[in-house]
Amino acid sequence: MTMSKLTRSVLYWLLLSPLVVVILFPFGVMFVTAVRPRDELFVYPPTWGFSDFRWENFSEMWVKTNFGGALMNSLYVSISATAIALLLSIPAAYAMSRYRFAGKGAYRIFLLMTQMMSPIVLVLGLFRLMMSLGLVNDLNSLVITYAAFNMAFTIWMLQSYFNSIPRDLEEAAWMDGASHLTSLVRIFLPLAVPAMVVTAIFTFINSWNEFVLALTMMRSSDDFTLPVQIYAQVAGRYQVEWHHVMAGTVLATVPVAIVFSWLQRYLIRGMALGAVK
Amino acid sequence: MQKSIPMMMILPSLALAIGIIGYPILDLAFTATQEVSRFGQLRGFVGWDNFAEVFGDPLFWESLWRTGIWTFAVVVGTLGISMPVAMILNDDFYGRGLARVIIMLPWAISLTMTAVVWRWALNGRSGLLNATLMQAGLIDQPIEWLATAGTAFTVEILVGILVSIPFTTTILLGGLSAMPQDAYEAAVVDGASGWHQFRYITLPLMRPFINIAIVLNVIYVFNSLPIIWVMTEGGPANGTDILVTYLYKLAFRFGQLGKAAAISLIMFGVLLIFTMLYVALVSRNDTDAAPDQEDEADDHV
Repeated sequence: MTMSKLTRSVLYWLLLSPLVVVILFPFGVMFVTAVRPRDELFVYPPTWGFSDFRWENFSEMWVKTNFGGALMNSLYVSISATAIALLLSIPAAYAMSRYRFAGKGAYRIFLLMTQMMSPIVLVLGLFRLMMSLGLVNDLNSLVITYAAFNMAFTIWMLQSYFNSIPRDLEEAAWMDGASHLTSLVRIFLPLAVPAMVVTAIFTFINSWNEFVLALTMMRSSDDFTLPVQIYAQVAGRYQVEWHHVMAGTVLATVPVAIVFSWLQRYLIRGMALGAVK
Repeated sequence: MQKSIPMMMILPSLALAIGIIGYPILDLAFTATQEVSRFGQLRGFVGWDNFAEVFGDPLFWESLWRTGIWTFAVVVGTLGISMPVAMILNDDFYGRGLARVIIMLPWAISLTMTAVVWRWALNGRSGLLNATLMQAGLIDQPIEWLATAGTAFTVEILVGILVSIPFTTTILLGGLSAMPQDAYEAAVVDGASGWHQFRYITLPLMRPFINIAIVLNVIYVFNSLPIIWVMTEGGPANGTDILVTYLYKLAFRFGQLGKAAAISLIMFGVLLIFTMLYVALVSRNDTDAAPDQEDEADDHV
């Protein structure tokens, strides 16, 4: 039985519709709450409707909750962690892709294992480590831990892309007398730029979204990253300013969601090439 | 000299991983055998006392049991939904690009934010889920979703499934797109029905991808703190505590660091088993572009 493309499309969308509704529901909740006047938050019976769009909620929230500070902290941590992770991963991924060496298999397994170790299982040990280094309440503790926890992923993604760059170009350069280092910098890295950008963006998003370590290491509200800062407005409060909280989540998630949506096919490709296959 | 080049290239990453991921494990193992004060001072060797205390704690066993339910329910639910979704997304239809973007959306949002939004959406009095259900005439009294452990835990499992679907679908899509088309053509020629094609061609060929999706999801879900932590903090009355939330409370609320270290180590052991399973699954089909495997690497592209 073959269906026409149109019938199939209608059928598929019908099948997907419950899931699509559930996925989009929280986004609806976010927006509708973020622009609602404060006194219409706790109405009974609850309703989706509201009287007017209060865009001022966003600017109010920005000032009252120190959103700008948390945003800068998140940016600092995510950018630095991404830079360090990439800087250390590029040579490692290159070695994994291009050389045979003793311990390569062991290193690959070691990486896999570090990828599986989630921060939560190690959080107590990490906290004690950062205490002894004097890095509790210091954003740099997050920078190095995020870099370390993302490295398995970045090496893996990069390696899978590096494998798809033909060796011939580098070999031709070696024939012409270029050293390995020169060929790496002049021939290989320029070809690898797209892979590095994609990997960097995913590392950035991972760091941007991390919660457990940020919650544990950052004890003063000046050092909160966005997830912790938004959580802190909800947890243990008698009166939660939900319109501000939702305005905060809109600002913190929508830009990232757009970038992610735009890049997700690269993630699928990278995983199909390396991580899974 | 030549031989040491690759070693030097992996050394920095290796050093960081050992320092940040390896060292804390050793530290936990050491802490777990020590008596630890509320403020983190080690007071000397106590052997297995911390473990004995953990095993004598009914809350540990309840959390462990709930961790099992949580992991099993989320992983099974996720796979049950992701498999048909991946098969749909792998087929050609109008709006497929948009459908992919929507299905992948929860992946882009941090679990914390998702959980915060759901906590508000599930608000017992004014939450918009109650609003939706009441406006649709499905209920006439608002439901206190998060006030009792039973409903709260169920809802948390459903949110857990929702956020695990994108990743799982991605893995399964990777498998489906690598599926040989001629197998299906041959099956159609032989008159195999859609169900038979699925049962006897798709499923067996997808087996490795399904295995990897199961193992990875088990690891991620087992370790996942934000959803439960943000929505209920393991409450009411420890009724939604799983191991990670219980561990976090012990370590950073109750100051029972020795006990927390012992639970961390137990979890580490469980994780290690699943990780080795995963390593075994992955290394069965792994390739690279090192010189000795050039041919293989070429048709990889």
